[in-house]
Amino acid sequence: MSSSTEFEPKIIAFVCNWCTYAGADLTGTSRLKYATNVKIVRFPCTGRIDFLLLLKSFAQGADGVIVSGCHPNDCHYTSGNFHARRRWIAFRTVLDLMGVDIRRIQYSWVSAAEGSKWADLVNNTVADIRALGPYAEYQKVAEYLEKEGFDEEA
Amino acid sequence: MKKLRDRVAALLDEGAVSLVIGYEEGTKRPRPLFCRNSESSGKLIFDSRCFHNLAVYVTKKELVGKERFAVTAPISTLRSILQLYVENQLSEEKLLVLTVDLNGELREFVTFEEISAYVAQFEMKRGEREQEILSKIEGMTREERWKFWMGEMSHCFKCYACRSACPLCYCTKCVVEVNRPQWINPWPSPISNMEWHVNRAMHMVGRCTACGACGDACPVGIPIDLITRKMMEDLAPEFGYIPGQPAKQGNALSSWKLDDREQFIR
Amino acid sequence: MSKIGVFICHCGENISATVDVERVAREIGGMEGVAHAIDYKYMCSDPGQTFIKEAVKKYGLDGVVVGACSPRMHEPTFRRACAEAGLNPYLCEMANLREHCSWVHEKSEETTEKAIDLVKMLVEKVKKDKPLESIKVPVTKRALVIGGGIAGIQASLDIANTGHKVILIERDPSIGGHMSQLSETFPTLDCSQCILTPRMVEVAQHPNIKLYTYAELESLEGFIGNFKARIRLKAKSVNYSTCTGCGACIQKCPVKKIPSEFNAGLGTRTAIYVPFPQAVPNKPVIDRVNCNYYKRGACKICEKTCQVGSIEWDKEDEIITEEVGAVVLATGFDVKGTDFFPEYGYGKYKDVLTGLQFERLASASGPTFGEIRRPSDGTIPKKIVFIACAGSRDPAKGIPYCSKICCMYTAKHAMLYQHKVHGGESTVFYMDIRAGGKNYEEFVRRAIEEDTVNYVRGRVARVYEKDGKLIVKGVDTLLGGQQVEIEADMVVLATAGVANCGSEQLAQKLHVSYDPYHFFAEAHPKLKPVETNTAGIFLAGACQAPKDIPETVGMASGAAVKVAALFSNDELVREPIVAVVNRLAPPLYSTCVGCFMCETACPYNAIEHEEIKGRDGSLIRTIARVNEGLCQGCGTCVAFCRSKSIDIQGYTNEQVYAEVMSLLND
Repeated sequence: MSSSTEFEPKIIAFVCNWCTYAGADLTGTSRLKYATNVKIVRFPCTGRIDFLLLLKSFAQGADGVIVSGCHPNDCHYTSGNFHARRRWIAFRTVLDLMGVDIRRIQYSWVSAAEGSKWADLVNNTVADIRALGPYAEYQKVAEYLEKEGFDEEA
Repeated sequence: MKKLRDRVAALLDEGAVSLVIGYEEGTKRPRPLFCRNSESSGKLIFDSRCFHNLAVYVTKKELVGKERFAVTAPISTLRSILQLYVENQLSEEKLLVLTVDLNGELREFVTFEEISAYVAQFEMKRGEREQEILSKIEGMTREERWKFWMGEMSHCFKCYACRSACPLCYCTKCVVEVNRPQWINPWPSPISNMEWHVNRAMHMVGRCTACGACGDACPVGIPIDLITRKMMEDLAPEFGYIPGQPAKQGNALSSWKLDDREQFIR
Repeated sequence: MSKIGVFICHCGENISATVDVERVAREIGGMEGVAHAIDYKYMCSDPGQTFIKEAVKKYGLDGVVVGACSPRMHEPTFRRACAEAGLNPYLCEMANLREHCSWVHEKSEETTEKAIDLVKMLVEKVKKDKPLESIKVPVTKRALVIGGGIAGIQASLDIANTGHKVILIERDPSIGGHMSQLSETFPTLDCSQCILTPRMVEVAQHPNIKLYTYAELESLEGFIGNFKARIRLKAKSVNYSTCTGCGACIQKCPVKKIPSEFNAGLGTRTAIYVPFPQAVPNKPVIDRVNCNYYKRGACKICEKTCQVGSIEWDKEDEIITEEVGAVVLATGFDVKGTDFFPEYGYGKYKDVLTGLQFERLASASGPTFGEIRRPSDGTIPKKIVFIACAGSRDPAKGIPYCSKICCMYTAKHAMLYQHKVHGGESTVFYMDIRAGGKNYEEFVRRAIEEDTVNYVRGRVARVYEKDGKLIVKGVDTLLGGQQVEIEADMVVLATAGVANCGSEQLAQKLHVSYDPYHFFAEAHPKLKPVETNTAGIFLAGACQAPKDIPETVGMASGAAVKVAALFSNDELVREPIVAVVNRLAPPLYSTCVGCFMCETACPYNAIEHEEIKGRDGSLIRTIARVNEGLCQGCGTCVAFCRSKSIDIQGYTNEQVYAEVMSLLND
């Protein structure tokens, strides 16, 4: 693990139940180790993942986001991941236009059999975000009138 | 112009329609006119200054009522009408569409197919203003874009004029009014303003016809219409749709291709 | 205010070894809305579940969070416990402290803090949980079995014998699969066809089984209890209702040199053919790729020969639709060919065979009528070398797994050779001998001790031809890596068992998961070995991983019981994880504006149109409604809905929003 002086990014992972969540379960069953920075939120399918949640994550202080689901053609619901992929293309386009740092959103396909890929994905993403540093640019603006209860100090 | 006025008067007199939405002379520029009888049809105008998107009114039930009505539609309005039709918000039986073509001839569209064929001949090019601002934004680094938009967003005070002006924002309850959960904070602040505009842009993917009504309506002059226009320009070729020519089944985000881009997916 | 109970499991030491579980319980106990928080050694045990039940009653809990293993493991257990205590089961959630935390991190402050965050997240979710009622759907009591090998045969017979209808489809012209190709079977050396063919006949005659050979699954729609299978009946070009199976057409067919699939390429067949003498059904099909008529437009000798006029030249593929309630996948496996091995001659040496080809040589119904003869010159090999693990356990070849059956059949092959060729010399190169199974080790010992098969522990580096002999160069690792060179007359490769061709596409049609080698994935490696992650679809046999006959039969019977258990209900209880379009009091009725973009996004056609009418009967507006029988709960429509008018039960906007906020707000 990292030394205590190193920046520990806060990363939230949005994953589908059938592939990536199960893949992350397999990571555990295989006792592969990865960084503690990432916390998983379970969704039935990547098709369910609302783009607003990704946006809210940054406003609430996340430094990075992982979005992961089934490989193309493997979706438990046939086409949820294809819909999601399109949504992500569009979302990246608008975020990039607005100047949001889209390197902080890591998309991936991790199947239920890819326990080691999940560990690698987490570790690589943590390393990438650590290299980018805290998302202060966003958080600084978000502090202003954004957190619940009108925090006036910013 | 006379042909248009005469035809509108006739339609109203015959009772073929109960309302005609068109333009009249305003103080600074043309404004919408709602003709309910043939007398007021004399005030109708239709020229190149009439770009206000009248399609925004055609989904307002309290305005158009249950009877058949007509609209005198410039090209931007025609495109929006097509999109609204695909989204099950209009029916051919209820709406008669009139326009004056490039040769000054009056055209009447009974079916949406005809509108579709008519608008196909018009390109959706950037105007001078769009070109100027967009090329400036396109030349910026990511950090500069962020600063630029945050500067713009700090002016937004969430009046939602953009939403009111947009013919495709016809939801009876907008996501910003959904409070369980409160997706977007109701008070203005740079981030939540941006969230609103990103949200709007996402909702417009494959739907926006770049009429510019939202930007035109913004009281503080934020070029928000360019967000959705740029999205359209970037995504239409990739997703394979023709802006302003909606597909019969689904739109850019409710359909997909097996070979959609995924280089960004690890 | 909520009264939530939180139960943190040690899982023996699986969680408590790296997570300070007492601290987790203590800190969560101080959270707003948490009425009760404890930790315990095994929450899933009887006493553990009793803690939950008692707490639900004692504190009047309106929500439960169990911090333990993956919800994919024990969510049903804890939900049942809650239901027994009178709490709606969907008010119980699990925080994954084992697979997602304790097993993947070292013991540290951060690990415990992550565990606390994970539990907090679920507490916030539970606060937004709503009681849900299970959904009941009808069950079509008819099963579809895909694949007519021994797995499919066994599964079909077992299901049919419980009184339920079975549709069995097989893509080849006959059922029987690989087992029909085998000579004798280990460890008893009883003849494979002798034990298999009665079962094949039973399938054909069983009143509850409808058999479609030369048929493939086109598509499968629907869900557990209510599938719609579209099946392609490939054109056989022979009318089976009139054909008597006399075989005269086969005798007269002029195209005779087609390599026989049944004989693994060692024998030949005609263009109109029955794959093997005991085939079921025992009627021919025309192989249109090789038939003179289909190739050149002339011949039709079979038609002239046929006394009952059964040849149908213009017959086309037919697609039929069958409604079924469950599916058993029994599509079996394949073996790598000799051409997969550059070091053993890329398949260009005629006397280097696969194990399956050797089976055909040793079989009485094979091309040599059971005599072991070289394909090149027909002589009897004096020296024979068997190479085990050809491809298997070889990551460099992309097959790191053990094919499991090769050790046993190689011993059998060597034994059969010794029995058939007196004075012959056989050598087996092996990595390890894996003879786990009843009477298996004894069988291998018999080969070594009684039948004097020479076992050499080591790999074979190369096989090459020299003066009509196959030179086998290897090492004997038990003799310190000493080089061994054998001049053999025949080499048999125990090539790796691999997933059947087309299994990936089939998995995608059925929406079942598969592993990196395209074997179908079971729902749980230990506790759900015959289930898939898709409810109502079960696995039997080697399509899941290589396995031998007894194991395959056992698995097939297991799958059959799962199907029978499913069919024992008239109605099926389904999780209420479905999308719902909101309903409000007039004048809005719903925030849905009826754009029906969700309709185009839904993969299940579950979105219907509902007309909202006023008191006078006039149409106010048309809005979307979700058919909960068809909805599978992916939630794509939810993320797509602009006005947030659709939500999905169990993963509502409020719930996921609360989860995200709890993870970040601290």
